[in-house]
Amino acid sequence: MTGRVCRGCGGTDIELDAARGDAVCTGCGSVLEDNIIVSEVQFVENSGGGSSAVGQFVSLDGRRQIHHLGNQLQLNQHCLDTAFNFFKMAVSKHLTRGRKMAHVIAACLYLVCRTEGTPHMLLDLSDLLQVNVYVLGKTFLLLARELCINAPAIDPCLYIPRFAHLLEFGEKNHEVSMTALRLLQRMKRDWMHTGRRPSGLCGAALLVAARMHDFRRTVKEVISVVKVCESTLRKRLTEFEDTPTSQLTVDEFMKIDLEEECDPPSYTAGQRKLRLKQLEQVLSKKLEEVEGEISTYQDAIENELESSRPKAKGALANLTRDGSVEDTTSSVFGEDDAEDEELEAAASHLNKDFYQEILGSGLSSSSEGAGDPDGDARPPALESLLGPLPTAASLGISDSIRECISSQSQDPTDACGDGELDLSGIDDLEIDRYILNEAEARVKAELWMRENAEYLREQREKEARIAKEKELGIYKEHKPKKSCKRREPIQASTAGEAIEKMLEQKKISSKINYSVLRDLNSKGGGGLQEEDAQPEGRTATRKLSRRKTPARRHRADPVTGVGKRLRPMVSAQPAKKAAAGEPLPLSPSTLGAEPARPTAVLVESGPVSYHPEDDPDEDDPDEDDGEPCVSALQMMGSGDYGCDGEEDDGY
Amino acid sequence: YPSPMTPMTPITPATPASESSGIVPQLQNIVSTVNLGCKLDLKTIALRARNAEYNPKRFAAVIMRIREPRTTALIFSSGKMVCTGAKSEEQSRLAARKYARVVQKLGFPAKFLDFKIQNMVGSCDVKFPIRLEGLVLTHQQFSSYEPELFPGLIYRMIKPRIVLLIFVSGKVVLTGAKVRAEI
Repeated sequence: MTGRVCRGCGGTDIELDAARGDAVCTGCGSVLEDNIIVSEVQFVENSGGGSSAVGQFVSLDGRRQIHHLGNQLQLNQHCLDTAFNFFKMAVSKHLTRGRKMAHVIAACLYLVCRTEGTPHMLLDLSDLLQVNVYVLGKTFLLLARELCINAPAIDPCLYIPRFAHLLEFGEKNHEVSMTALRLLQRMKRDWMHTGRRPSGLCGAALLVAARMHDFRRTVKEVISVVKVCESTLRKRLTEFEDTPTSQLTVDEFMKIDLEEECDPPSYTAGQRKLRLKQLEQVLSKKLEEVEGEISTYQDAIENELESSRPKAKGALANLTRDGSVEDTTSSVFGEDDAEDEELEAAASHLNKDFYQEILGSGLSSSSEGAGDPDGDARPPALESLLGPLPTAASLGISDSIRECISSQSQDPTDACGDGELDLSGIDDLEIDRYILNEAEARVKAELWMRENAEYLREQREKEARIAKEKELGIYKEHKPKKSCKRREPIQASTAGEAIEKMLEQKKISSKINYSVLRDLNSKGGGGLQEEDAQPEGRTATRKLSRRKTPARRHRADPVTGVGKRLRPMVSAQPAKKAAAGEPLPLSPSTLGAEPARPTAVLVESGPVSYHPEDDPDEDDPDEDDGEPCVSALQMMGSGDYGCDGEEDDGY
Repeated sequence: YPSPMTPMTPITPATPASESSGIVPQLQNIVSTVNLGCKLDLKTIALRARNAEYNPKRFAAVIMRIREPRTTALIFSSGKMVCTGAKSEEQSRLAARKYARVVQKLGFPAKFLDFKIQNMVGSCDVKFPIRLEGLVLTHQQFSSYEPELFPGLIYRMIKPRIVLLIFVSGKVVLTGAKVRAEI
């Protein structure tokens, strides 16, 4: 028997009294377990796995867990009762299904903490349970939503007394707390507390308050109490530094309250970034302008140089002079020609556009060129001939026309009623780039095969197995999970009877030796009870015992109201045990034993054959996710009871 | 208690007042699904497409990406496909069509059935700080604010059915919309 450790003194000498149902540490006398065995139990089986909401059963286990956890948090009885009520409500709404019970319990307790306003953080609970705080948070939020309970927002002021006490300020505790409270209120007014963890703010306030009262508390000490990161604390301090209040002296701070309120730091940071970006844009624009200016200067300079260059003599000079004369003349009469050219260019440009737009701009250009008598070239003639024509714009229908055109182009894509892939807008070359050529494909195939060799092997084995089963004619089609059928609960007074009835119900083969089973059960009441007490105790001592632990504790004796988790196991295991034909050694809790046991079960399986790897996860939705090895529960408690998949396990 | 700085008056949650204020949320992500209409061999696709990954042990779909528009698609063996990452409805549609074209070129008789946008995510900035505690007091039934877990307030609007993440700096993220009008 593995030694159980007493919580109080750490001693391993635990005495179990079956008569009283107690487990007592002989070292310090603390009672570790009570109610180990409940004399009267309604052995009820539930289909679908998870909690079986039979009043007595639930309250026994749930209540105990709540009490255990609540005691560790030092919650008073009233809080614990309220938490238990929440828990009952949660169970009735089936919120415990598919969730670890520890999470639900923790969420109920935290809900109570919030409604009562106790200084307990979600972090504390997650510390106790060794669970990720966000996972707990998710459960908590869901619980609050389902129960329609609105938990009031956390006020960091609630945490001050608690942390101050932990920081040990001696007699000046009260003063420091008061100062810290004042600081917090100032922080609130300065919008520093929105969206931040209250514990971080508390830490900052306490640090400053301590310094104000000449207590040397380092950042490390504070963060060990407050449970935030050092960088968070420094950030809060910096933010506080940025507020005008930080400029006051100690005395001034106690007396004066500054009127103005600051913006939240994230807002100011965001504004600063925006401003920086805007500045950047302005700067870049200015740069462009400057560049433009520079280039114009450059051009002007070059022109000046050109014109001020000495005129060349000779024939060449004539030519050039002519050119320059022409230039000058053109510059004199430039307007007409230039305008002509302009008009021509404009017209040719406009001719490319839509008819209406041509008319529209043609109008404007023709009106401009109206002053120019005969400079008009051919292209604009149309506009001038036709005169002012009604344009789409003037008619006010340009928008609708555009819409019609665009909707036409859209319709073919929308009306893919026949499902054909519309290739418009898809560049084939681009698509081709996404496909590997021969050599590349071969290389990739090789790499991929190497990577996924294991998976491929498994698939092949699976197929081979299926083919073999098909031949043997016992191939089971593994259909997706169907809704669980509700079976009437088996009424039984002893475990043995219950097991028998269940086996009958499940139509497991008659090859099970009931007498052996009964022997297993009555292997000496004391011995059994002891073994019972062990898992019991373990449930209590290690609240965070994972799903697997109960699974490992396969017990023939289902009598105890030990753990809900044990429950589904209990009915499953005796059958398996019977199948195994001999009592498997009780090797609880050691993880090392766990993989060994399932294999042991595999080996010893006699009359009832089952294929663990075939099992779909029909049962127990409470299963751990993401655990690499197949749990014993999975292996033992499902599929192959001889059920052909039509009948559900109920686990 | 100082008056809350937020000009967000406690209006009925039915009508968002975004149009009047002139702030238009920018779309950041669009998730859409389409049915290619034929069974696919994921191995072939994964081995012959340049930008596809396929890890059957981890996830039973091929993950393919294209650069223009920058999107990612999950292609399942049943022929259904999920396309994410586009910044507009048209882009999402175009991207989905591109993926379908790739699949077509790889030799499968892919079609383009039932293209549907499943989710649209938008973000915007209201440019003033928001007092989240006040908001959670006035709109209790819709708001959920848990500073220990998440710095933003989660507001679940009923009509239209949108979830907003509201932050104290004034930035708002909207998600859960099926059409642009909802955002």
